[in-house]
This record gives sequence, structure tokens and C-alpha cells, in this order.
Amino acid sequence: MITVKNVSHDFEIGKKGRATIIPVLRDINFSVNRGEILTIVGRSGSGKSTLLNLISGFIRPREGGIWINEEQVSKLNEAQFADFRIKNLGFIFQSFQLIPSMTAFQNIELPLIIKGMAEKERRDKTEEMLKKVGLSEYQDHYPGELSGGQQQRVSIARALIVNPPIILADEPTGSLDSETEEDLLTFIKQLNQDLGITFLIITHDDKVARIGHRTIELSDGRITEGELV
Amino acid sequence: MKLKDQFRFVRQNMKKNRTRVSMTILATAMGCAFLIVLSSVGFGFQKSIVKDITERQVVTAIDVHGKQSMKQGFTPVTDKDIEAFEKMKNVKAVTRRMMLQQNTKYYLKDHQIDTQTIVADFPSEMKAGFKLSSGHLPKKPDEIVVGYDFATNLASKNAKPEELYDKRGVLKDQYRYTGELVGQKVELPVKQNENGKQIEKVFTFTITGIGVKPTKKWLEDRNAYISNDRLKEIEAFTGTPKGMLKEQNNPEPPGPKVEGVVYDEVKVYATNMEAVKNIDQQLKDKNYETYSVLNELKEVNLVFLVVKAGLIFIGTIAILIASIGIYNTMTMAVTERAPDIGIMKAIGANPKTIKRIFLLESSYIGLIGALIGTVVSYIISYTVNLALPLIIKNAFGENAPSNFTFSDIPVSLPLICIVICYVVTIISGLRPAQRATRVDVLKAMRREM
Repeated sequence: MITVKNVSHDFEIGKKGRATIIPVLRDINFSVNRGEILTIVGRSGSGKSTLLNLISGFIRPREGGIWINEEQVSKLNEAQFADFRIKNLGFIFQSFQLIPSMTAFQNIELPLIIKGMAEKERRDKTEEMLKKVGLSEYQDHYPGELSGGQQQRVSIARALIVNPPIILADEPTGSLDSETEEDLLTFIKQLNQDLGITFLIITHDDKVARIGHRTIELSDGRITEGELV
Repeated sequence: MKLKDQFRFVRQNMKKNRTRVSMTILATAMGCAFLIVLSSVGFGFQKSIVKDITERQVVTAIDVHGKQSMKQGFTPVTDKDIEAFEKMKNVKAVTRRMMLQQNTKYYLKDHQIDTQTIVADFPSEMKAGFKLSSGHLPKKPDEIVVGYDFATNLASKNAKPEELYDKRGVLKDQYRYTGELVGQKVELPVKQNENGKQIEKVFTFTITGIGVKPTKKWLEDRNAYISNDRLKEIEAFTGTPKGMLKEQNNPEPPGPKVEGVVYDEVKVYATNMEAVKNIDQQLKDKNYETYSVLNELKEVNLVFLVVKAGLIFIGTIAILIASIGIYNTMTMAVTERAPDIGIMKAIGANPKTIKRIFLLESSYIGLIGALIGTVVSYIISYTVNLALPLIIKNAFGENAPSNFTFSDIPVSLPLICIVICYVVTIISGLRPAQRATRVDVLKAMRREM
């Protein structure tokens, strides 16, 4: 489902001409199968978030290629990737990334608006999704009026609303207490089992890493454990 | 994203910064109002001048003064020419008039009037639109038609001349002729100098009709219209064309000898305004000296076109200044909303959609500003037109010209303003909108890399 081949990436720091090149990822090769939960672990600065950003299309790899559903996404331009993203990828972020001026309902509805769905249909879908994540009574609340766990559920609902086959999660439990973390992990497993959604989760938390069918460990920009070619 | 949803986004975003957006709209409205009001002065002056020109003369009439040729120089319009004019396409009528070439004074019982005697061709006059308010056209040579104001200027013979008129120069009511005119006999003494002596013959006419009141308030028709047959009788007495007075001790008529009839005024009437240009051109091609109101209007309109373009240009500068405000507002909006833009892009919003939302927002500001500016302009224009005559009267003690329009806003002016405003706001919103599409998702979400 996701294939990462010979991906290397680095960052330039400083002014042009005098920039220092810092290697972040070196020759990364792995793949994620359909219906699988793959967790990527590593210490801070190991390059795991950069790897997720490359797969998400937020940045382009300097070397190598990334394929999602047999399409080489690393060659898509920004507009093409945007269209691809809305159809195939859902995102769960550590800091939830909800729009503060929108209610829970509006935040969840947003991907459907972007997709161009008719108002009636998207209202029904959003209400259904709010029920699914248990936030029906909070639909008119703004993110600032919700707890961390509730905000993350809104974030998950927003990721799920377009029925993406893949969800990319960056430290999904990073801002949650242990009880809420447990609930979220159960929910992810449930989604994986019931709907067959593929998860690629970046974490430094062992508890989260354990829900994965497979785990890859990154260290200094290289895969040091669980490497698959 | 559907257009309806894009509009919803724009409205939501504008609500977030209501004060800033309102101020920008206000600046745009002021710019638009300035453009419209400034240009409306040009439109107002043009309207007043055009109105003045068209009120003075019938727009479908073309005055033909004569023919100018290299061989013969200037020659007056002849009956042959008139015949040719009448055969031209889209010509409704050709009127020809001659003036009796001496001061004519008509007497009706104990009243008299100094007026002009016009020799008219009644059939062509009627075709051209000459109408009677009462009576009928002359059927015999001794019958005449008089102008609408003939009666009101018939003054008593017995009163002293200095008592006849009031301060405004209007004949006092008590000296006016108040009786019926149609059917009355009037006498016209015609003079001539013969062998150093002045001789006189009185011609008697019966008034058969009275012309209609002139459409313009300031116009007065006190003329007497006689037929060509009667003129021939007068000419037979004077021995000169058009009853011209001979000089004392000179038996020959004054001026150069001209064969045939010489008309003092020949007018070609077109069937409609559109035909005037073509007829006028045809006459000019045949070396006739012509004048038509439409030609004058063409020149006036050309001058005002330049004036209006200049005023619109100056007004546009005000909108350009307002556009700086729009640019500023939109740039701040992009900066403030960068995290939201980042999230939308991360979810899958197309950069083109984001650009369109921001362009919609700037054009929304521009259009609302233009609409408010238009409404304000109409109010200002109305007030100015109402107040200016009063101000002139109070400040300078003089009356403003009647029917003068100081400010006029035709529908085209707000439309021009809205188009200019729309284009300017799109241009000023373009750069911030492009900036919005270039918002870096990771930076916007403050994600560590």
C-alpha cells in the first residue's frame, strides 16, 4: 500500500551559499501492507517526523521515491498531491491541528467541504461521525472549549470522514493523559479491524508502538530495526 | 470546493475582523464616491449643454446656407436645389423661408405690433411639424397666420410708448389686445422710396390661424406668416425682391443682382435622428454649407468625452489609494490565517481553491465598497443639485441658470466605477492570495521537522 524506496533527505540550514547541510534520512526502504498498523519509533531527532512529512507530501525527498496505492506520489505537484490527499489520506496530529474559529462540527465537516460534497449529504455524514466518536453533544463547541481527548477525537473524526484507506498519525497520544491514550489506542485498533484502515503511526511511546503489527525503529536517519525491503 | 461554500468561508473570515474589514470597505466606498461625484460634474455639464443645444433647435433639422464652389464661389439655395433635397432618401420636409426686407408694423383696430414678416411655404412647414393652435392655413393670398404671441404683443396705439411696458419689458395688461384674432383683418403698410419720396401702400390681411405655443418657455413667436403669392404683390409695389427698400435717390435695388428666388432660411428635416448624419454628409459632399445640431453635439460630446475620461482617471487614483488598504487587509488576513490555511492544505485543499477564497474576499470588499460608494454618490449628487442654486442665490445674489444640472450620474458611471473597483481590488488582492497558496504547511502548523 505504501512503499518507500531509497529515500534520503537532508535540510539546508543558514543562508544560501553558506548553508550547512544536515542529513536527516539515509537510504530508507520499507513498505506498509493494506490493513496493517505500522509504527515507527525512534528518539527525538531520529528523522521519524520527517519521514512522515515526506509520505504526507508536505516535503519532497531529495532522493528516492514514495508510492502510495501504486502511484508515485513523490512526483506529484502540490495541486495533484492535494487532490490525492483528500481522497486517500487521513491525518491525526499530536497537537490536533483543529481550526480554533470553527466548531467541532465545522472542523469535522471541513474535508467534505473541500471535497465539494453537497450540503445535505455532508451534514448527515458529519452528524453520523460525531455520534461514532461520541461527541454529538459537543458539536457546537469550539476546540478551546473541549478537553485534549475530545479534541483528538474531533481530529480523528475529521480524518475518518472522507473514508480514507490510509491514516497517518504523528504522535497521536502525545498530548493525552494515560486514560484517554488507552481509549484512543483501542479506537485505532477497532478502526483497523472493522474498517480495514491502514495506519502508519509515528511515536516514541512503547505503549503506542505495541499496537502495531510491525514496528520500525529509526536512529540517526537510518532504519535500525524491523527493516523491510 | 463549491462556490457557495467558498462564499460562506469568505463571509466567516470577514466577520472575524469586522472592524478592519469595515474600515477597508469604507475607504473603498470613499474612493468610489469620489470617482463618481467628480465624474458626475462632467456628465452634469455635458447634459446641461446638450440640453441647451437641443432645446434651441430641432435635432432632425439641417440648415442649408448655400453652395460653395471653386468656380462660382458662394451661391444661395435655389428652388432647383430644394427640389433635389426633397427627393433625397429619409428627407421628411424641406422648409424655405424669406423675410420681408423692411420693418413691418401691423395694425388691428386701435392696436399695433412691430414684428417680422415671414414668407413661408405652408405645405412644407406643416410637413416639418408647424402646427396651429386655432384656425386654418391661408387659402387665399390675403390670408395670414400669426405666431402664438402675436396677440399678447399687440399694443394700444393711443398710449404713450414709455407707459406700455413694465419693468421687465412686458406689455402691460391694460394695453394688450384681448379680443379674438382669427377672422380679424390686419393692415400692413409697405413703404418704398421713389424719386426721393417715400410712398406707402397698405396691404390688408385676414388672420386665419394662430400657431401653437413654442415648446420652450423662453421662446416667443410673434411673427406674421404670409404666402408667396402675397409677397409677389408686395414686390410688384416695391419693385424690389422681398420688398427691399431702395436707397434715397437710387432707383436700383440695393445689393448685387441675383436671379430667381433667394431664400433666407432653408431647412432639411430628416425622418429620424439616425438619418441626419447621412443626409448631412450627402449635402456636404455636394459642397453645400450646412449646420446641424447633431454636428455640434458631436463636437461637444467629443470634448466632454476627454473631460470625463480625465475626471474618471483622477477618480481612479482615489480607488488606487483605497486599494492599498485592501492589499494591507488581505496581507494581514493571510498572515493571521496562515495556520488555518496550513491545516486546510494538509487536509487536501487545493492551492487554487485557497487563492480563489482570498480573491473572492478582496473582490467582496471592493464590490461592497463600490455599492456603498454608489449609493452615497447618488445622495451627494441629489443634494448638490438641490442645494447649489440656493447657495449661489444666497452667496452671490444671482439665480443659477434654470434647468442646469451640476451633477449627473448616468447608469454607465456607477458601472464604470464598479468595473474599475473590481479590477483594482482583484489586482490588490492577487499578491496576498498568491502568498496564501505558498503558505508552508509545516511552518503554518508549527510542526518541528
